[in-house]
Amino acid sequence: MSKTTDDAVRQADEAARQTDDGDVPLAEGVDHQVAMVMDLNKCIGCQTCTIACKTNWTESGGREYMYWNNVETKPGAGYPRDWEEMGGGWDEDGQSRTPGQLPEQEDYGRAWEFNHEAIMYEGSDEPLRPMENADWGPNWDEDEGTGEYPNSYYFYLPRICNHCTHPSCVEACPRSAIYKREEDGIVLVDQDRCRGYRYCVEGCPYKKVFYNAQTKTSEKCIFCYPRIEGEGPEGEVRPPSCAEDCPPQLRHVGFLDDEDGPIYKLVNEYEVALRLHPEYRTEPNVYYIPPFAPPQTSESGETVDAERIPRNYLEELFGPQVNEALNTINRERDRVRQGEESELMEILSTVNNDDQYRLEVFDDGA
Amino acid sequence: MGRDADRPDAERPGDDEVDDRGIGSRELVVAAALALAVVAATAAFPAAVDARAAYEIPVEGQSSAGDLAEPTGDAWESVETVTVPLSSTGAAVPGGADTTVEFVRVGAARTDERLYLRLSWSDPTANESTGSLRAFADAAAVQLPVSSESRPPIAMGSTDERVNVWYWNAADGTESLLAGGAGSTTQMSESAVETTATHTGDRWAVVFTRPLSADRANVTDVDPDQDVNAAFAVWEGSNDERSGQKAASEWYYLSLGPAEGGPPYETVLWALAGIAVVFTTLVTVEGIRRTRGE
Repeated sequence: MSKTTDDAVRQADEAARQTDDGDVPLAEGVDHQVAMVMDLNKCIGCQTCTIACKTNWTESGGREYMYWNNVETKPGAGYPRDWEEMGGGWDEDGQSRTPGQLPEQEDYGRAWEFNHEAIMYEGSDEPLRPMENADWGPNWDEDEGTGEYPNSYYFYLPRICNHCTHPSCVEACPRSAIYKREEDGIVLVDQDRCRGYRYCVEGCPYKKVFYNAQTKTSEKCIFCYPRIEGEGPEGEVRPPSCAEDCPPQLRHVGFLDDEDGPIYKLVNEYEVALRLHPEYRTEPNVYYIPPFAPPQTSESGETVDAERIPRNYLEELFGPQVNEALNTINRERDRVRQGEESELMEILSTVNNDDQYRLEVFDDGA
Repeated sequence: MGRDADRPDAERPGDDEVDDRGIGSRELVVAAALALAVVAATAAFPAAVDARAAYEIPVEGQSSAGDLAEPTGDAWESVETVTVPLSSTGAAVPGGADTTVEFVRVGAARTDERLYLRLSWSDPTANESTGSLRAFADAAAVQLPVSSESRPPIAMGSTDERVNVWYWNAADGTESLLAGGAGSTTQMSESAVETTATHTGDRWAVVFTRPLSADRANVTDVDPDQDVNAAFAVWEGSNDERSGQKAASEWYYLSLGPAEGGPPYETVLWALAGIAVVFTTLVTVEGIRRTRGE
C-alpha cells in the first residue's frame, strides 16, 4: 500500500471517527449510545406503553410489582412513591456517589388480589375491589396534579431506565454485575453475576432498578434489546415496545451520536430535549420535550397571559435549560404560523415512523 | 444486641495500694516471694493455660463422625472452641464499616474423610428471608486458600492466590464460592460443602462440612497432615449487612499438622519474658537493699 493511500485511509478513518463521535460525549468504552426523546405534549396518560412493557417482560416470576416503564402524573409522588427524595446519583463534582435508599414494598404498591371469584362465580353483590386494604399503588394520585381551579394543572411523565452515560447504578455494584454494553450503551444486569445486594437499587436516583425477591437478583429495563437487534416480531429491527405501541407516537428512538438523526438534532442542535433531573448527574439518555399547557384563565373564564405550569416547577424537573427550550419551541411555532419552514417542528410533528425510529444507521460501520 | 455476650472474660488484678511506710525485712521477704511467684507463673502459665498458639484453631481428630454434622451434636462437647474476634472489613460499599457481630466461636473436628467446622455467634434476631425488597438474611462464611499452603490477601484473595469460600445464609442455604479478589466471587456448581444451622436462644450455630480431599480443580485440598489457613465472616441481616459489609476475622489456621505447642518463636518470647521479670525483680530488690544501706 502506497504512502498516499495510507494517508488517505487514515484521513478517512479519522473523518469516520469524528462523524461517529462528533461532539457528543459518550461513556468510556461505548461505541454508540441509544437514546430516546419523549414529547410530553403528546402523552395522553393511556398507559399503553406501560402495558406493552409489562406483557413483554414483567408479568410474573417476582416481577408483578415492577413497571420498567411507568407513566406518572406530575406534580405527584410518582412510582415508587416519592422516588425523587430517595437519594442516589452523584454529588456536585460528579465523582462521589450520593447515598440512596431502598424503597419499601408499599412505595411501589402491591399486586392486589381482587374479589373476582366472589362476584363472577359466587353471586356476591359486593363492588369489585381489592381484597386487602389498598391505600397506595402506581398512579394512586393519577390526574390529581396541583393548583387551584380554574388554574389547576398536571401532565404525564412516562419513565423508563435512562441508560445513563454516567450511571450510578453501575458504579454502585461491587461485583460489576451491572454494566453498560459496548455496542449501544444499554445498561444491563448480568443475571449470573448478580447476587441480589441491591446497591444498584439504592444507587439509581430514578429508582429504575428493581429487586426480584423470587430470583434474588435485580432486574431492569433492557431497552428491548432483542427488538433493536432484530430478534423481535418478524425478525425485523424494531424500536422498544413502549415506543412502538404508543398510540400518539410520542417517542423518538435512535442514537445520540447519529448526527443526521432526530435525537441529535433535538438534543444537541435545537437543545429542546432535556434530561429529567440533570442535577442527579447520571447523564440520562432519555430526553423530554417539556410540556406546554393552556394559559391560565380568570374567574370569569377569560384567558389570562400567564403560564399554567409554573416555570420554577419545570426548572425543578428539567433544570434551568427548560426556559430556553420552551422559548425555542415557541419561536419555531411562530415561524410555522407565519408560513415559514421549521425543521424542528417537522421533527416534532412527523407521522413517519422511519423518521422517528433510526436504529440501523451504524449497522455497516459499527 | 448482646454484642458483648462473646467477649472473653478478662480478669483484671485490683490496683495495688501503695503504702508509704518504710520497708522492713518482712516486706523484703514478701517481695522475694512475689518475685518467685511471678517467675513460677511465667514458666507455668503458657503450659497450663494456653497450649494453643495465637491464631490456631485446633482440629480434633475423631474416629467416627457421630453427630458432628449437627450444631447441637454431643460430639462437639469435647471439641475445643476458639473465640475469634471479628471487625468490619471497611469495604468500599455503603455501610462498609457498620457491622454488629464482634466474635464468632469456632470449633473444628475431622474424621479420616471429612472436615467439620462449627461457627456460633450471638444474634438475637434470626433473619431468614431475602424474600422482600428490604430483607437481608443472616449469613456466615469460611474462607480457605485454594492452594492449601498459601496465605492469600485476606479480602477475598487475589488473582494469583485465589480463595474458596464456604458460604451459608439463613434464607438460601449453602454455596461454594471461588474468588480471586474483591468483587470476583463466583458460585461453583455442585458444591460438596454441606451445612446445618440452628438458631436457639439468641445464638446461631452452623456446622460446615466437606470431604477433606478436593473433588476438582479450584477447590482447597485439605491435607490431614498439614495446617491450612482459614478466615471467618458473619453478616447480620437485620443491619442490612451483605457483600463487603461484614464482620470478618484475620487469617487463622486449622491445626492439622503434627507440630504441637505452637511455633518456636512463641517459646522464645515466653522465655525472654520470664528472664526479664526475674531480672527486674532482682534489680528492684537490690535497689531497696541499697536504699536501706544494707
